[in-house]
Amino acid sequence: MKRITLYLFNIVICLAVFAQKQTPPAGGTPKDFTLPEKTTFKLDNGLTVVMVPYGNLPKVTVSAVVKTGNIHEGEGQIWLADITADLMQEGTTTRTAQEVSLAAANMGGQINIGVGPNQTTASGEVLSEFGADLVGLIADVLQQPAFPGGELSRLINDRKRDLSVQMSRPQPQATEKFNKIIYGNHPYGDIYPTEEILDSYTIDDVRKFYSDNFGAQRTVVYVAGVFNEAEMKEAITKAFSQWVTGPAVSFDVPEAVAKPGVEILDRADAPQSTIIMGLPVVDPSHPDFIPLSVTNYLLGGSFASRITSNIREDKGYTYSPRSTVDTRYGAATWYEMADVTTDVTGPSLKEISYEINKLRSEVPGVEELDGIKNYRAGIFVLQNSSPGGIIGQLSFLDLYGLDDSYLTEYVKNVYAVTPEQVTEMTRKYLDYEKMTIVVVGDKKVIEKQIEDYQNALDNF
Amino acid sequence: MNKICKWTGVVLVSLIFGCNPQKAESPQDYSYQVPVDYYKLNNGLKVVFSQDKTAPTVVVAVYYNIGFRIEPQDRTGFAHLFEHMMFQGSENLGKMEFVKLVQQNGGVLNGSTRFDFTNYFEILPAHKLQTALWAEADRMSGLAITDDNLINQQGVVKNEVKVNVLNQPYGGFPWLDMPQYANENWYNAHNFYGDLEDLDAATLEDVKSFFDTFYAPNNAVLVVVGDFEKDETRQWIQEYFGDLPSAELPPVADISEPKQTAEKVFTKPDKLATRPALAFAYHMPERNTPEYYAMGLIDQLLLQGDDALLNQRFVKEKGYTGSVDGGINLLGNMFNYNGPMLWMGSLIHDAEVPSDSITAVLNQAIDEFTSKEVTQADLDRALIKMRSDLYSNLGGFFGFGRADLLASFALFDDDPGRINLLEGEFRKITPDLLKRTAEEYLVPENRTILILEPTTEEN
Repeated sequence: MKRITLYLFNIVICLAVFAQKQTPPAGGTPKDFTLPEKTTFKLDNGLTVVMVPYGNLPKVTVSAVVKTGNIHEGEGQIWLADITADLMQEGTTTRTAQEVSLAAANMGGQINIGVGPNQTTASGEVLSEFGADLVGLIADVLQQPAFPGGELSRLINDRKRDLSVQMSRPQPQATEKFNKIIYGNHPYGDIYPTEEILDSYTIDDVRKFYSDNFGAQRTVVYVAGVFNEAEMKEAITKAFSQWVTGPAVSFDVPEAVAKPGVEILDRADAPQSTIIMGLPVVDPSHPDFIPLSVTNYLLGGSFASRITSNIREDKGYTYSPRSTVDTRYGAATWYEMADVTTDVTGPSLKEISYEINKLRSEVPGVEELDGIKNYRAGIFVLQNSSPGGIIGQLSFLDLYGLDDSYLTEYVKNVYAVTPEQVTEMTRKYLDYEKMTIVVVGDKKVIEKQIEDYQNALDNF
Repeated sequence: MNKICKWTGVVLVSLIFGCNPQKAESPQDYSYQVPVDYYKLNNGLKVVFSQDKTAPTVVVAVYYNIGFRIEPQDRTGFAHLFEHMMFQGSENLGKMEFVKLVQQNGGVLNGSTRFDFTNYFEILPAHKLQTALWAEADRMSGLAITDDNLINQQGVVKNEVKVNVLNQPYGGFPWLDMPQYANENWYNAHNFYGDLEDLDAATLEDVKSFFDTFYAPNNAVLVVVGDFEKDETRQWIQEYFGDLPSAELPPVADISEPKQTAEKVFTKPDKLATRPALAFAYHMPERNTPEYYAMGLIDQLLLQGDDALLNQRFVKEKGYTGSVDGGINLLGNMFNYNGPMLWMGSLIHDAEVPSDSITAVLNQAIDEFTSKEVTQADLDRALIKMRSDLYSNLGGFFGFGRADLLASFALFDDDPGRINLLEGEFRKITPDLLKRTAEEYLVPENRTILILEPTTEEN
C-alpha cells in the first residue's frame, strides 16, 4: 500500500506580543505513516472478507457488517431492525442464548449486534488464541438464529423501557424532531417508535425482516488485530461458505431538502436549552465532502474551532458544543448541537449564526486553516491506528462505495483545501437562513429570546 | 461449547508457552509484556516510558496526586474546576493557546478529575513529542490566569453539571450519588462535581493556593507511551522539567472509611425520570490485597458481560431490565484509584416491579454464588475475561489506557512495573478465596441500596 507522508506544517503560535515569552519547540521531522496492509477475498456466495493484521496486543476483533438496518424498516416498523437484532442474540438452532454468552465469555468477549441506519454489525473482541472460534460463533449467530418466540415480549418490553428513558432526555427529543423535519417519512426521519408500534411486532415480522435483509451478498467480514492469517482464512471460509447469497444491496435514498424554521419543544423549568441547528448537505461520495468536512472542523467540529471558542471559551454559555457532518447512505446533514444555559438561548443561536455568517463572508487565514488540516491529518492517523478504527474506516469506504484511493489520497486531499474553498463550501452548503432549528427547553422563558434572535438575523 | 470449556484450563497454563492447545504443532506466542522504564528527576518528578512503535504516535500524560476526594471542604467541585483552569493560560501560553498548540500539531487532548488524581494528556504525531513535553512543563511551572478566565470556566463547569446531572433523568445516578450515600468520611462522601454555590464562590486566590499546594513535580508523574527514542526524550524532560522546584506537600489526609455494620437504604426522587431504578454498592476489600483481586474476578462472574450471573437473573430470566451495569470504580477501573472504593451495580426497571423484588433477586443470586463451590471452569472464565479486558485497556484510546495504568501504579505504588504482575496476581486466586471473599464482603451489612423514584407527573 502507498506510503503517506504527513506534511504537518509547523505552526508558530503568535506570541510576538509578549516578547519575553518562549515559543514552543516545533518538534522533529514527520514520520511516514503507512496504512496497514489488508488481504481481501470473496466467497462464492458473494460474502467479502477483509483481514488486517495489526499491532502486538494479543487480541483480535471480528466484525460481520451486513448492509441492512433501520432503512429497511417499512411503514410503522420503526425499530423492527433492532428487535430482530435483539432476538438474534437469543440463541441459535444449535446453542441456547446462555451457551452463546458462555462460549464468547470463555474467549474473553461477548457477541454484540449493533443496528444503524444502513449497517447491522455482529462483532466480538477476544483473546487472539480464540479468533477462529469467534468466527464460528458469529457465523452461527448470523446464519442460524433460533428466533425463540417466547422471548419476544420480554425484548419488546425492554425496548419500551429504553424508549421511555430516551424520550425523557432532551438530546434524543431534539434529534428525533430534527431528523423528522429533514427526512420526513423516509426511515431516516423515523428514529423512535411508539409503544404501540413496538407492541405490534410478532415473531413472523422478525423472521420476515431477517429473511428479506440478511445474507452473504450484503455482508463483509472484517478481522483486525493479532491473528494467524491462514487459520483465519480457513475458519471464515468454513463458517460462511454455506450461507445463502441472499438479497443484493439495495438502499432507497431520501430526497432531503432544507426546511427553514424554528421548532420549540417545551421542557418546563429546564436549566438548559438543547439546541440543534442544521440542514442537509452532501454525503461522502460527493467530491465536496472532504473540503466540507475540513470546513466543519474549522467552524465547530473541534475544540479550538470558531463556534466552540466563541460560545464556550469566550462566553461560557455551554460545556460541550459541537458541529458534525452526520452521514447516511445517500444523505447527510450538517448540524451544530449544544446544551446552553436557558437565559442565553437566543444569544447562543445568534453567536452560532454569526460564526457561520463570518465564514461565509470572510476567507479564513492560511495559518488557521493549516492548523485545522494538521489536526485532520493527525486524526486520520489515529483513526487508522487501532483494530476498531481500521474496521470503521474500511466499512465506511465500503458503505459509500469509495475505493482505496479515498484513504491513500485522503491526507493529500485534506492539504489541498484552500482558504477560498472553505468560504465557498460555507456559502454553498451552510446557509443559516435555510437551517432547521430545534430547541428543547423552557418555552415560557426562551420563546421571546428566539423571537429576538430571528429579528436580529437581518442585521448580520 | 463443551470443547471450549475443556480448553480453558489448558489455555491459561499455555500462556506461558504461548501455544494454542488445538494447534500444538504450530505454536504461536500470544502473551504480552508491557515495556516499562522508570526513573525520577532530582526534584521528585516520576517518569515512566513505554515504547511501542506500532503507530507513529505518542501519548504524553501528566498525573497529579490530587483527586476530588481531598479538595477543600468549603469548595466542593474545586479539584475539577481547577482542572479546567489548567487550560486557561500558563507562563508562555495564553488562553486557548495550549489547546491550539496540540490541535494544530495534529493531536487530541483532554484532562479529567478522578478520586485520587487529576490528569492531563495529549495524543500526537510522534515527531511532536518535544512540543508536548515543553507545553506540559510550561503549565507545571505556573499558571497565568485572570478573573475573566475563572468566571468563564465557572460558567462552563456549571453547564457541564447541568448537561450531565441537572437536566438529565438519572443524572448522576448512581456514579455521583452512591459515594455520597454509601460513605461516611467527608472525603469520600461529598459532591465531587460541586454545589453550584461552591463553584461560584471560588476565587483566583483559591486557584493559586491549590496550584501551589498540589501542582509540584514531586507530586506528579509524567508518562510517555508510543513511538519515541528514549535518550533524546530523557534529555528533553531534564531540560524542561528538571529545574522546576519541588514543593513541601501537605500531610496526607485521612481518607479511611469506617467499617459499615448495618445495611443502608435511601430513596432519591427524580423529577425527570420516567421509570424507577435501583443501585446497590458494597465496600471493596483494601486495594492490592488478595481479596481485592478476588473481587475483581467476582465482578467478572456477577456483573461483567451478558454471561454474568446478575445479567442472567435480572435480564434473561426475570425480564426486570435490559441490562445491569456497574463494576469497581465507575469513574475508571479497578486499578486507577487509591483509597476506599465501592463495587456497584444498577438497573432501570418498570414501576410494576417493586424495589423489594429487585433486592430479593439480588439476594438470591448472591446467596447462590456464595453457597456453592466456585468451579474451576468459572474461575477460568473470570480469568480469561479479566485478561482480555486488561489487554483492551492497554491498547485503549491509542495507548492512553496503558499510560493511565502506568501513571496510577507509579503515583500510588511507586512501581509502574506492577502492570506486568497483574495477571499473576489474579491467577493466584483460588476458588476457596473467591468464595470466602464473597461471603465476607457481599453481605447486606456491607451494602447500601439507593432507590431512584420518578416523581414526574405521568407517574
